[in-house]
Amino acid sequence: MDTSRRYRLLLLPFVIATVVLVGVPAALAIGLSLTDYDALSTPNWVGFANYIQLLDDRVFGIALGNSIYFLALSVPLRLLGAFGLALWLGGERRGTGAYRAIVYLPTVIPDAATALMWLWIVNPLYGPINLLLKSLGLAQPAWLADQDSARFVFVMMACLQIGEGFVVALSGLKGIPRSYYQAAQADGAGALSLFRHVTLPLALPWIALVAVRDTIFALPWTFAVSSIMTGGDPFYTTLFLPLYARIQSVDYLKFGLGAAATTLMIVLAALALGLIGLAARRGWYADEI
Amino acid sequence: MVTVVIAAVFAVPLLFALSLSLRQIDRTLPTTMEWLPNPIVLGNYGQALADGNLIRYGLNSLLVVAVALPVTLVVASWAGLAMARSGPAVQRRMVAFCVVALLVPHSMIWLPRFLMVKWAGLIDTPFALMLPALMGTSPLFALLFYWAFRRQPADLFDAAAMDGASAVRVWWSLALPLVGPTAMAVGALTFLYFWGDYIDPLLMIKSPARYTLPVGLSILQQFDKTRWPLVMAAAVLYALPSIGVFLAAQRYFLAGRRMLWLS
Repeated sequence: MDTSRRYRLLLLPFVIATVVLVGVPAALAIGLSLTDYDALSTPNWVGFANYIQLLDDRVFGIALGNSIYFLALSVPLRLLGAFGLALWLGGERRGTGAYRAIVYLPTVIPDAATALMWLWIVNPLYGPINLLLKSLGLAQPAWLADQDSARFVFVMMACLQIGEGFVVALSGLKGIPRSYYQAAQADGAGALSLFRHVTLPLALPWIALVAVRDTIFALPWTFAVSSIMTGGDPFYTTLFLPLYARIQSVDYLKFGLGAAATTLMIVLAALALGLIGLAARRGWYADEI
Repeated sequence: MVTVVIAAVFAVPLLFALSLSLRQIDRTLPTTMEWLPNPIVLGNYGQALADGNLIRYGLNSLLVVAVALPVTLVVASWAGLAMARSGPAVQRRMVAFCVVALLVPHSMIWLPRFLMVKWAGLIDTPFALMLPALMGTSPLFALLFYWAFRRQPADLFDAAAMDGASAVRVWWSLALPLVGPTAMAVGALTFLYFWGDYIDPLLMIKSPARYTLPVGLSILQQFDKTRWPLVMAAAVLYALPSIGVFLAAQRYFLAGRRMLWLS
C-alpha cells in the first residue's frame, strides 16, 4: 500500500480550514469591495464606485498618508535595529543569552498590555519619559495629544518589538562561514570593508526576508494599539488604514467601502514589497561586479 | 556599556509600568522623575484581582487558550507529518500553499471573517475566538512540524507502516514523541497568539460577560484613567503569563534556526 496515501487524511483538516479561514475571506474582501453590502440587505454590484468614493474621501487620504508614514519609518528602523543588535549580540560571550532574552521580551507582551503601558509612559504630564526629559532640562512633547508627535509614538513602540526579526538576523549572520572573514582579513580588509563586502551581501537574503515580513505585518499591528491608545485622534493623525476600514465597516455598516480600503491596503503592501525587491536585486547585482 | 544601554531601552517600558503599579493609588501622581515609589505597596494587585470582572475575563481568555492550544497542536502536527511523508511533488506544492497563506495579511481577513462568523451564527460565542485553531493557528506551525518530521529517519516510519499501524497511531506513539522541542515552541507561540489576541474578541464578542482579558482591560482603562497605578497593575498581571511562557520556552525561540518569527 502506498504509504503517503495513509497520511493524506491527516492533511485534510489543515487544508480545508486554511482555505475556509484564509482563502475564502481574502476572496470575499475583494468581492465585497465591488458591492454596497451593509450586512443587512443583499449586496448590489456597484463596480468601482467604492474605490472612487475612497479617493474623494479626505479622511481616507489622511489614513493612507499616515500608513505610508508608518511603513516608511518603521520598516527601515526595525531592520536596522534587528540586524544592528544581532551584529552586536551575535558573539558567544558570557551573558549574551540574557541580553537576547531582554531584547525579545517586549515582543511577547500582548498588544493590549503594551498599549496600556505606553499610554502611561508617554503621558504628557506625569509619564516617565517627559519627567525624564524635564529633569534633563529638555523640551517635553505632548506625544499622543499633539498632532505632530502622535504618529511617532507608534513608530517608537514598533521599534522595540523586533524580537522575531532579531532572531532571523542572528541565525542569518551565524550562517556566514568564519573562513570568509578569515580570507578577507588575510587580504588586509578592515572592519568596515569586511562589513561591506562579506557581511552585507551574505546577509542580504535575510534582510530582504525580514523586510518582507515587517511590511506585511506593520499595518495590521497598528490596529490593536491605535484603537486602544487613540482611536485615530487627534484630528485623524493616528488613523491608519486598518482602523479606517473597521470604522467604515462595523460602525457605519459600509462593508463594501471597508473592503475596498482593505484591498487598497494590500496594494500598498504589494508596492512596498516591489520596492524592497528592487532594492534587494540592485544589491545582489552590485555584489556581482 | 553599550550592551547595558540596549538592554535598558528594551526593559524600561515594562519597568516603568511595574514601578507605577507599586504606587499607592490615592496619592497624586509624581511631577518629578520617580524611579521607585515610596512606599512600595502591592495593594493594586490585590485590588485588580479582587475586581471580579478581571477574573471573569481571565477565565474567558483561559478557556479559549485551553481549547485552541491542543487543537492547534493536533492539526499542525498532523499536517506536518502528512507533508513529510508525502512525495516530493506534494511537498513542494504544500510548502507553496503554506507560504501563500502566510503572506495574506491579517487585516485583509478580519472583516470578511467577521461576516462569515456572523452568517454562521457564532458571533458572541467563544467558538468565534477559537476558530484559527482549526487551521493550526498559523501555516507556519504546520511548516515547523514538517521541517521537524523531515529530519527524522524515514526507516522508522517505513517499519511502522510494515507493521500495519494506522496513520493516527504512528503519529501519536512514534512521530510526536520525536519532535518534543518543536511541539514546545509551537505550543508557546500558540499560547502567545490566543492569550494576546485583541482583534477577534473586539470584533466578535458583544456581551461584557464574555469579554476576554485584552478587551476587558482596554475598557478598564477608559473608565479608570485617573487610577493609573491600578491600570498598570492589571496590565502587568495580564502580561505575566506571556512573559512566563516566553521565559520557560525561550531556548526554543532564541536558539531555533527555523523561522519561528513568521507567526
